[in-house]
Amino acid sequence: MLTVNGIRDDLMATTVLEIERLTKRFGGVTAVDGVSLRLEAGRIYGLIGPNGSGKTTLFNCITGVERRDEGRVVFGGGRIDGLKPWEIAQKGIGRTFQLIRVFPELSALENLLVVTRDNLAAARERALELLRFVKLEELRDEYAGNLSYGQQKLLEFVRVLMREPTLILLDEPAAGVNRTLLNDLLDAVRHLRNQGRTVLLVEHDMKVVMGLCETVFVLDHGEKIAEGAPGVIQTDERVIEAYFGR
Amino acid sequence: MNVFVTPAMLAQVVVSGILSGALYAMVALGLALIFGVMRIINVAHGPLLMLGAYTTYFLYSALGLNPYLTVPVSMLALFAVGVLLERTLVFRVVDAPELSSLLLTFGISIALVNLAQLLFTSDLRSVEYLTGSWVVGPVALSKPRLVAFVFAGALTGLAFLFLRRTKLGKAIRATSQSREVAMVCGIDVQRIHLITFGLAAALAAAGGALIAMIVAIQPEMGQTWTFKSFLVIVLGGAGNYPGALLGGILLGLIEQVASLFLTTQLSEVVAYVLLVVVLLVRPTGLLGGRET
Repeated sequence: MLTVNGIRDDLMATTVLEIERLTKRFGGVTAVDGVSLRLEAGRIYGLIGPNGSGKTTLFNCITGVERRDEGRVVFGGGRIDGLKPWEIAQKGIGRTFQLIRVFPELSALENLLVVTRDNLAAARERALELLRFVKLEELRDEYAGNLSYGQQKLLEFVRVLMREPTLILLDEPAAGVNRTLLNDLLDAVRHLRNQGRTVLLVEHDMKVVMGLCETVFVLDHGEKIAEGAPGVIQTDERVIEAYFGR
Repeated sequence: MNVFVTPAMLAQVVVSGILSGALYAMVALGLALIFGVMRIINVAHGPLLMLGAYTTYFLYSALGLNPYLTVPVSMLALFAVGVLLERTLVFRVVDAPELSSLLLTFGISIALVNLAQLLFTSDLRSVEYLTGSWVVGPVALSKPRLVAFVFAGALTGLAFLFLRRTKLGKAIRATSQSREVAMVCGIDVQRIHLITFGLAAALAAAGGALIAMIVAIQPEMGQTWTFKSFLVIVLGGAGNYPGALLGGILLGLIEQVASLFLTTQLSEVVAYVLLVVVLLVRPTGLLGGRET
């Protein structure tokens, strides 16, 4: 067993993503204001906050869709702020979108096949396995745009898994999803965590957040106002104030 | 106005229309690809076709190559030109307002035409390789047009096969459906733009090489092809790749049928009128929306 300073390596929490004082402005509006946070391997994190508090902008800065104005994003030991979105994706960060975004005029199978660095034959096996996992195997040749809302949601979810990402960002996975599908999705998220992957999810459904996340970050007006276990967050005064006003 | 139309004449224009329609479709597919993937109307598409025609002409006249063998060479050469243009100029306007990309590609178009005038002069040139027609029943099939049709059909088929079956082709289609999602999924969108532009230039070059054996080559031969390709993708639905096929054949037929009834000058007008009508009545194109 490797040891560092006498501490067993496998007990030491490995940092997957570290954000330091990240700031993003749009004109005069500061959408994300000096946010710092650290994610460890094999855990599920929640990111909550009122509408317009900067959750999606933070996602966009992590994935490189938006360029951050200040601060650093370190992933897998190296800085990723300033990299192109596809370079960040190739390094192992996958994400879903608040409104489902599949490629509507590619088949379900093709939606997965485009997201691979392997050759098509090798990717095909993994893609079929993932489609089986979410029970969409029979619909593999159907245009993704013709699938139901729930099926598209599942397809988008497994598309993220094609690259075997170490960090998965989910933007409102529970939105517009029925009970059964939701439970399937949540089971899948726990399954990913158990494989050692890290999940950060934006979610408005507090039941989901409380039941799933080990640590919750709260944003308000672009600032991180609280961080901690769900139970603690729920009683935090600043959080209550942010949600319900004084 | 000619009012005497025999069935034989009609058969002749339908056949001629389909023959030239396949060329329109192939060339327009290039324009449709660039528009679909990069949201740019490439005004320089026709001048790229002109460069393809000159490439074939010089390979034929200077090296004595069989002009049909020069088609892939012209395509490769213009693929390189396309890649170069994208990497140096066009990439700058991908996210810019539409007017910027129109102005830029319009500028490239003017520059290419003038460069051609400077280098090749405005003399008309021709590649006379296949001449004459095959007569089948009442219909005369122009030899160079028929061979051009076969080439255009095959190349268009190959292009669709590439888009449907290969990983790169799928990535191009994915990017044209949503650039942002493609990026976040790990698709190198800059590379896709580069390849798409090169591919489109190669399709234009193939058109130029084949047309070089049918009509006279001169520096300004390309501009009407920009316009016709634009009309084809408006007919078929912008960003809709199979729509470009339908639009191409339709344009060929309409032009030929119009030539039966109208004088040459007037039948040229038909295409322009058609553009205005389609934009007014069905701006999303005949097949509607986007289906790649």
